[in-house]
Amino acid sequence: MLKLENYQDVINKCSHCGNCQATCPVYLEDLLESHVARNRLNLINQVMILKTMPSSSRFKEILDRCLLCTNCTQTCSSKVPVDEIIIAARAEMGKSTLGGLKSFVVSKMLQQRGLTGLMGKAGSLVQKMGVAAREMPQLASKSFDKFYSGTIPAEGEQRGRVAYFVGCGTNFLYPDTGIATVKVLTRNGWEVVIPPGQVCCGIPAIAEGDLAAAREMVATNLKLFDLENVEAVITDCTSCGMMIKEKFSKLLDAEDPLQEKAQALAGKIYEVTDFLQQKGLTDTPAALNISFTYHVPCHRGWSPTVVDAPRELLGTLPGAQLQELRDPEKCCGAAGTFFMEHRELSESIRSHRLEQIEASEAQTVITQCPVCRFYLAAGLKSQQVTHPVILLAQAYENSSQQ
Amino acid sequence: MNGLVKDLARLIGDSKVLFQPEDLLAYANDATHYFRTQLPDAAVLPTSTEEVARVMSYAHQHHIPVTPRGAGSGLSGGATPVKGGIVVDTKRLNRILEIDRANMTASVEGGVVLQNFHRAVEERGLFYPPDPQSMSVCTIGGNVATRAGGPRGVKYGTTGNYVTGLEVVLPDGSIIKTGGKFVKQSVGYDLTHLMTGSEGTLGIITGVNVRLLTLPPSTRTMVVVCETLDQAAEIVSEIIARGAVPAMMEFLIKLAITVMNNYVDPPLPTDGEAFLLIEMDGTPAQIESDIKTIKEICNEMKAREVREVDDERAAKAYWNARSNIYPLIMTIFNRAISEDITVPRSRIPDLVRAVQEIAASVGIMIGLAGHAGDGNMHPTILQTEINDEMAAKAKQAIELMVRRGLELGGTISGEHGIGIHKQEFLDWEFDQVQIDLMKRIKQAFDPYGIMNPGKIWLEGGEQ
Repeated sequence: MLKLENYQDVINKCSHCGNCQATCPVYLEDLLESHVARNRLNLINQVMILKTMPSSSRFKEILDRCLLCTNCTQTCSSKVPVDEIIIAARAEMGKSTLGGLKSFVVSKMLQQRGLTGLMGKAGSLVQKMGVAAREMPQLASKSFDKFYSGTIPAEGEQRGRVAYFVGCGTNFLYPDTGIATVKVLTRNGWEVVIPPGQVCCGIPAIAEGDLAAAREMVATNLKLFDLENVEAVITDCTSCGMMIKEKFSKLLDAEDPLQEKAQALAGKIYEVTDFLQQKGLTDTPAALNISFTYHVPCHRGWSPTVVDAPRELLGTLPGAQLQELRDPEKCCGAAGTFFMEHRELSESIRSHRLEQIEASEAQTVITQCPVCRFYLAAGLKSQQVTHPVILLAQAYENSSQQ
Repeated sequence: MNGLVKDLARLIGDSKVLFQPEDLLAYANDATHYFRTQLPDAAVLPTSTEEVARVMSYAHQHHIPVTPRGAGSGLSGGATPVKGGIVVDTKRLNRILEIDRANMTASVEGGVVLQNFHRAVEERGLFYPPDPQSMSVCTIGGNVATRAGGPRGVKYGTTGNYVTGLEVVLPDGSIIKTGGKFVKQSVGYDLTHLMTGSEGTLGIITGVNVRLLTLPPSTRTMVVVCETLDQAAEIVSEIIARGAVPAMMEFLIKLAITVMNNYVDPPLPTDGEAFLLIEMDGTPAQIESDIKTIKEICNEMKAREVREVDDERAAKAYWNARSNIYPLIMTIFNRAISEDITVPRSRIPDLVRAVQEIAASVGIMIGLAGHAGDGNMHPTILQTEINDEMAAKAKQAIELMVRRGLELGGTISGEHGIGIHKQEFLDWEFDQVQIDLMKRIKQAFDPYGIMNPGKIWLEGGEQ
């Protein structure tokens, strides 16, 4: 699955309208038609399917210069899954122009969650790739799995049980998101189960075209979740959510015994604020005195309500002031590990974002993606960047202190 | 790098010259997915009018074909390099130079994306009505070159009604400025409007002056569900005749609504055969009065339902889905060939009947959507199988529809232009005297026939 041969018909569903020019962050920097989905698909078709053009270094470059942000896919009325076609093409091209070191980190290291010593080593290795310290995520001194694991009971009357898929961003970089997620869920009557042994969702691996590594991660994760006894599986990361909802099943063969479970999981995965908003808060915080703005992550297309939830949960609290960005849904340029290989391009994309954040005059930026959080914070002077569930947890703290 | 590429790099800098086939492939087609021409030999992305002029002057000197291009969102093949040569991609000429509130005018470079311009003027309480449905990406220079229109044509006219002046690089590389910020001028030939709709065959539009209106204070969307296509067409004529002119009045068949419903929430009604999606704009009082008139007409003519859309978010989604109707159609079909026949609006019912008859007689599926209020319909051939037989049927149906459109006193293209797709019909609409006159104009501008050659008339304009 995720094989190019499965996408031959769907490539021809591209109507060539060119509307993907409106939202492709890479195109909007370069203004080169060759960098927009219409031509990327056309090229993949000519080079890899019809074989009317030879493969070339320029072809590889055009394939690599894609954020996999899915903005084109979300814009495409013909519903061409451009991101999957690019992943399939990268996989078929073989791994890529990316350095062996980064490939090692994303494909091997992240499979071995919990081995913080090893991750620490990976972190230091990544830093040797010549990227300034400020531009590289720093591993948290204590990973999330050292704070919570197993079953955490609901506070007060139990409404139900949910499982928590802990992404790498939360586990290694931002345990505060995980802690807030557990606190807010339990405070609202949800028992939280965190199955031990979780590994990376696999999205960095598929971005590299390493489908085999991703498949292993999918299988490992699927086996851990007892879906029958939970109402939902919660993620705090929109990219993990997209991966689980849209890609897990596609990575497995049709006859794979885990297929059924992958599809069941897709039906139960929710981003944490989306879940809280849909189920309603049993306990509304008193106030949140903060002016904030919302950087909507690109990987939002898998849930129609995931972008409304933080606005509704936080924006309605007394004292909270949501100051919308001029373009709330524009990419920040980070895109997983993209910013490491395409620093100039990513920084250029980010610069427009930073200008809009400054113009919003908000003190705090919220976003549900750990990579956006890191990358925006690295570029901002004084504003803090955080996850909306952290602000919600703070609001509860404020309530408790009153 | 060959000599041409080296020369171009010397003229405008190598970062603005594309020569690798992977980059050039993008220029071999426009928004018509079923059609591809050849690759150009090079493409350039100038950032100033002077750079365009340098390239044009060089091409003139060496007799190299030049194809101007905006977003490549056209539907006529006009921006494709059928004779190779150089594509001048205007996307980096993208500065809004001035929005003048006192004079209600604006000045932009040719590559400004229409949607960005709409946003900029609307933020100042001003209004630029032309709205080709590719507006999220299309460029204003391209709009001028094709005399583009859109749904708002019914009330506000098309691009040509707003252009007051142009900056044009002529085929020999000289730069002219026509018209200006003034809204009237009685001096010499109106070159501004000769260039408007010239499809890149007379020069490259690098700057555009337009007049602006005041942004209407409010809008309201409504949907009319009709029993039959004929009934919908007759209601359209009656609404216009009674003077309740909507800002937009789109005619859609059930199939169009069905595909749009995959995209919008709440869904549009589907319990009819034809539908009118209408937007009224103006003061709330004007809108109320016009809606009353439309409701009366619909009652008298026994439309199935008239529904006002109160939820602004839903209304926006409906119009967005309407803009995306062709890509949406591709989720069901594998080929969609959109025609652009425009008739006097009173003849819309005749055209609608004719299209249904032609579809039945040829044995082909023809979807109907269009800006019915201004007589501009887009009958669209829809095919699942792609083979020679279906292609022949499509050709036959198109010929019959075009012929019928002309018999009804219409034109072969309301807003897409001729490009290469409708060349064979040009002499169905114009007599030879008129075509020869156009060719002499072309000759006067472009003696070597290098400016977007192979477009508008069949044998190419360069003879």
